[in-house]
Amino acid sequence: MSALTNFLAFLGLLTTLLMVWRQSRPARLRLLVVQSLLLAAQAIAIAAFTGRAGLLLVALALILVKAWWIPRALGRMAEGVPRRPVAPGRSAGIRLLVSGALVVVAYALILPVSARSPLPTRGGIPLAFAMALVGLYACVTGRDAVGQILGFLTFENGIFALGLLATYGLPGLVEAGVFLDVLVVVLIAEGLVMQIRQEHATIDVDRLRELRG
Amino acid sequence: MLLVALLAVPLVAAALLSRASGRVAGVVHAFAATATSALALTTAVVVMRETSVEALEGFLRADALSAWMVALVGGVAGLASFEAPHYARGADTRRFLPFFHLFVFTMLLAVTTDDVGFMWVAVEGTTLASVFLVNFERTRASLEASYKYVLICSVGIAVAFLGTVLIYFADVTRAGDVEHALRWTTLRRLAPALPAGVVEMAFVFLLVGYGTKAGLAPMHTWLPDAHSEAPAPVSAMMSGILLAIGLYAVLRFKPIVDLAAGPPVARRLLIGLGLASMSVAAAFLWNPHNYKRMLAYSSVEHLGLVSLGLGFGGPWGLAGAMLHIANHALAKSVLFLLSGRIRAAYASTDVSAVRGLLTRLPVSGRLFLAAMLALMGLPPFGLFVSEVMIFGAGFAAGQIAAAVTGLVLLLIAFAGTLNALQRMLHGNAAGRGVEPHVWASAPMIAALALLVLTGLAWPPGLAEALAAIASVIAP
Repeated sequence: MSALTNFLAFLGLLTTLLMVWRQSRPARLRLLVVQSLLLAAQAIAIAAFTGRAGLLLVALALILVKAWWIPRALGRMAEGVPRRPVAPGRSAGIRLLVSGALVVVAYALILPVSARSPLPTRGGIPLAFAMALVGLYACVTGRDAVGQILGFLTFENGIFALGLLATYGLPGLVEAGVFLDVLVVVLIAEGLVMQIRQEHATIDVDRLRELRG
Repeated sequence: MLLVALLAVPLVAAALLSRASGRVAGVVHAFAATATSALALTTAVVVMRETSVEALEGFLRADALSAWMVALVGGVAGLASFEAPHYARGADTRRFLPFFHLFVFTMLLAVTTDDVGFMWVAVEGTTLASVFLVNFERTRASLEASYKYVLICSVGIAVAFLGTVLIYFADVTRAGDVEHALRWTTLRRLAPALPAGVVEMAFVFLLVGYGTKAGLAPMHTWLPDAHSEAPAPVSAMMSGILLAIGLYAVLRFKPIVDLAAGPPVARRLLIGLGLASMSVAAAFLWNPHNYKRMLAYSSVEHLGLVSLGLGFGGPWGLAGAMLHIANHALAKSVLFLLSGRIRAAYASTDVSAVRGLLTRLPVSGRLFLAAMLALMGLPPFGLFVSEVMIFGAGFAAGQIAAAVTGLVLLLIAFAGTLNALQRMLHGNAAGRGVEPHVWASAPMIAALALLVLTGLAWPPGLAEALAAIASVIAP
């Protein structure tokens, strides 16, 4: 069991790092789908080994919300926008280096915590935590709205993976609330981004500069 | 039952208002707002008598701390509801009033649920319900403010979720599959046995996450935009009470971390963030050019001050901080509501555009002056008393450096705000303001009268209520 969950957590972190590296938006959206499917696989694996049937529902919700509905919404937001950021920006190399450093930081921070876990899934905890930190970094440094929202979703996926690996998921009511929350955030963000595109003809957030001081 | 009714009223009102319009909407709005405020005050009175009330098998629970917040939500929402109909007319009511009551519902839910996981859902719900209100005017500026608001607060709240997951982890690894593991009452009972390192780390994430919602620096960057772009009644609720709900969430975890890892952990973090917030605010308030942003930054300052008081601790620090939350809620909501009238009269939010406020709007201008003096912490208003309590607690706790720094920052903000206020009040009256009827100002006058009461002579029961809250927060 440990081997499988560790491997899935590792693949999750790998998709996150690839997302930082890739510049093309459709490729990053596909990576988000893969990442969410890996998370669902993780939930199914834990359900199979522990007999917690509730996790199958979680996996179903993950597939429907995070692997299908949300990527489509992000695709709609970016429809007709150039596939890559137009300006030659910061190189992905530096961003990858920072992400690598964050993985090290994640291990240093969380190892004393995950060592306390009696669960066979504990080996994946630092990987999930690293995934969350890299997602947060991608969100904060995102240059357009879709990039920022992608980072946010990766951050959320990382926390979700952490919850699965450390505690086999949170109580059902909370879990349901979290799904609803992510869904509504993306829905609202879609509405706002569409309005921003109407007003500014771009999704580049550097162009939002009405409010200063 | 009481708590269920308290939550049901705004939720049902929101559902009805999404269908109603015109006169019907006005009646439903007025009825719901009155009922919500009345039920909130009833809850506070009942909790004072019985120490706590529960509903739905303990899922909803209000102790002294919750009741204090419930009463504040009721009071501020009541104040704001008087002005709300002026902002939403005709077809716009459906974009305003339903979200107004939904917003009130999420705030009440956040402070009355005993489940800290569900509290998280409710706190995020406050952002999602209010973002439509921030973007009510649909200008470029309000659009930008809404986008920043929803993104920064959602990321912040996700950080708080990370903290919640870690608390749950500490909980279940220590106690196994306990029933209701995420209930606050369970956590409070298990707290002394929880692993210190994990809880400490969780608290850092919780403080950063919920601190974002509370507008503490350096996570405050969304606040001046959202608070200045939202329509006045919404700004009043966001500044007056929503920020305090962010701190409320932190306060729920303070006894847990105090019991598990010792008081210095929370103390240092709260004092640090408090001083950072007061510094950021003082830097802006030294020379404010937009009065709505001035009020918004002043909220960063006052929430920083509350955080400082919570960090100083002791009976005076905690009671002072809680009293300051209430005083700030009253003064700031009145000021934001008045800022809406000022903006209607002068068609600008620039300090330099507002001249001769006292002659142009005689009633609103005088109220603005009184509320500003209250906000700056002058006697006889309550903020003076709560500030004395907070700094007294700081000196008593031996935190001399932090207390002196806080006082200096307060003084800088005071000087800058006073200067801006002077420029607005006097001079040749510009603009074409029409003063609403005096009766329309009655709720604000009542709020200011209440501030004088907390400043001069505490009503019976206030001291007991504050002591009861302090016993919830302090282990």
